[in-house]
Amino acid sequence: MKSMLMKVYILGFAALSIFFMIIIWKVTFAHVIEESHDRQEVLEALQADKEKDEAPVKTTFQKIILDSEQTVKHYLGYKVLEEKRIEGHFHHIGIDIGPDKRSYCVNCHGDMPHDQIKDLRAFLNMHAFFVSCQTCHVKLEGKEKTGEFRWYDRRTGVIIPSPVAFEEPGTYKSKIIPFERVNGQLIRIDSDERISFASEFRQSKDTLSEAQSSKAKKIIHKIVSKQPHLCEDCHNSKDPVLPLDKLGYPKERIDSILSTEVVGLIKNYTQFYMPRMLHPGDKSGQEREQNRKKNLKKNKKPLTITKIN
Amino acid sequence: MKRAGQVFRKNLNFIIVLICVLLFAFASSVFAADIGNCLLCHKYPGISRVDENGDLKLFYVNEDIFNNSVHAKVNCEGCHTDIKKVPHDPAKKVDCLIECHIMEPSTEKKFSHKDADFFLANSVHSKKEKDGNPKKFAEDMPTCKDCHDNPLYRPLSFFKKVRYGVSEASLGRCRVCHKKDEFIYRFYNHVTTRLHKSRNPLNIAEVCARCHNDPEIVARHNLSTKAVYSYGETFHGKAARFLDERIPDCLDCHVRQGESVHQMMSHEDPLSSTYKDNRSNICTNMDCHPSASPKFATYSVHAEFNKTQSPVQYYFTFFFIVLTGGTLLPLMGIIFLDCIRRLFPHAVIKRRK
Repeated sequence: MKSMLMKVYILGFAALSIFFMIIIWKVTFAHVIEESHDRQEVLEALQADKEKDEAPVKTTFQKIILDSEQTVKHYLGYKVLEEKRIEGHFHHIGIDIGPDKRSYCVNCHGDMPHDQIKDLRAFLNMHAFFVSCQTCHVKLEGKEKTGEFRWYDRRTGVIIPSPVAFEEPGTYKSKIIPFERVNGQLIRIDSDERISFASEFRQSKDTLSEAQSSKAKKIIHKIVSKQPHLCEDCHNSKDPVLPLDKLGYPKERIDSILSTEVVGLIKNYTQFYMPRMLHPGDKSGQEREQNRKKNLKKNKKPLTITKIN
Repeated sequence: MKRAGQVFRKNLNFIIVLICVLLFAFASSVFAADIGNCLLCHKYPGISRVDENGDLKLFYVNEDIFNNSVHAKVNCEGCHTDIKKVPHDPAKKVDCLIECHIMEPSTEKKFSHKDADFFLANSVHSKKEKDGNPKKFAEDMPTCKDCHDNPLYRPLSFFKKVRYGVSEASLGRCRVCHKKDEFIYRFYNHVTTRLHKSRNPLNIAEVCARCHNDPEIVARHNLSTKAVYSYGETFHGKAARFLDERIPDCLDCHVRQGESVHQMMSHEDPLSSTYKDNRSNICTNMDCHPSASPKFATYSVHAEFNKTQSPVQYYFTFFFIVLTGGTLLPLMGIIFLDCIRRLFPHAVIKRRK
């Protein structure tokens, strides 16, 4: 027993000596190497300046993906606020929702896929944070239609209980996913089979011919409806697509989502000044209507905002 | 039947008026600072898009954090002046120099950041040379948002001892005369935040580092040092990394006493705090080293461990690094081998015959 303890002690001492070796390396020779690299970096920057008078232009990938991944900690004394930093962004974000690792759509279309309809793209992207793509872009009909929707965890993909009661609106780390009926069984629409097909396509798309690639894309997008669900399909109190109560929304949130404020915003106004009573006499509505008509022609899709009050 | 209809119409009018009153009262209590009800949409973190230039545009406003910022009393339209309708037309960039609705109490004029811009235009960070011509690489010079995001309150409590946060005991005294808690909190936060640094030394160094540690900018402007890197090498910088609030940061040395960061001058300007004849005043400051001699400030503060910039310091440090590493690394190696021998006392490496 004594010998055993001695061996453990010596083993620990050996581990400690390795730990110290790493630290000593870092603060001594690694420091010298780092300085040398830094000096090289400056020399390269000087060289680049000589060759090119202006700074190298960053690629879109760098700007959107890498730069936006910076994290900053604000030391406020009574608390530390840690958040993502977006260059030139003034307001604090304060929360980190994290990427959707389950969705096979965002791998190609991104987290902010809506950019066609200028008036609505930010609203649509806002919903895409807690509503899966399939919820709006797949209209299940007939036997497939189940009316069943559940929440899944963005990181793990696992179906979870409703987060609505515990978190602020829209800050959920989860999304709503529809369920379909296949051979009498309820299965989630983003099945493992569909995910693996899309994933395999992405991995091998560089080696596919145009015809093969086109065929694969058609299969992946087969379930996508030509006409997605519109805002008023959910934001109406008569027959909303989403069963908000089953999804865990408390009555006051349902009332808010289906309130005159939101439904009216979508349905009753084409140019909804908000709040109207604070901006009386604003006459730029005609211009708004003209833009709407232009968008209709351009996109050949009806906008969600359809009526003039 | 007709009478019943009249009664119903009468009551209906009353109900409509009642609903309006209740709605207004409810709205004003929930969104006290959000007069335009902008947070109806902007409270959602996903409200965003990627613009035509590929830049991420995030329109989310975190209400809790905003209400703890110095702009909490400014409503959205105070800065986003051109947003009049929903969905918005493409909005202009916010002009920080506009006059907002807040009155500056000492002059009773509308508040604006114009003075900060004036100071900046005459400082080392100006986009123009003193003769009025644009500087080379003027685009590298900072604008408001390069250094400032929405400044957050850092309240202090002085009630029995100095600590961070709001003193409920002090608030109790405020409430004797002032009746609105929103006013009391804001005033308390504003005053106590301004009684000390509104950012931690590490946060200040990080902001300066965005430009002053960027090797491209350092090279383009022919600066002698990666300033925040060399600051990090000093005792002050290392203490800042451990979040010491009392330690001097960039602004404590580079801004003259009684002036603002926007008035920072080049070290070649005799008016600058870092001008060679003025440096001793920095260290001998009452809050720092009041009994230090003027020579105390003559050392090379921003000497980097860099062969090109500071060769003497470099070789001196290099010698000690090699001495330390060259002594301690083999020592640790011997201790490790000794441990192995003690674990396997009879182990031998077979010699080839």
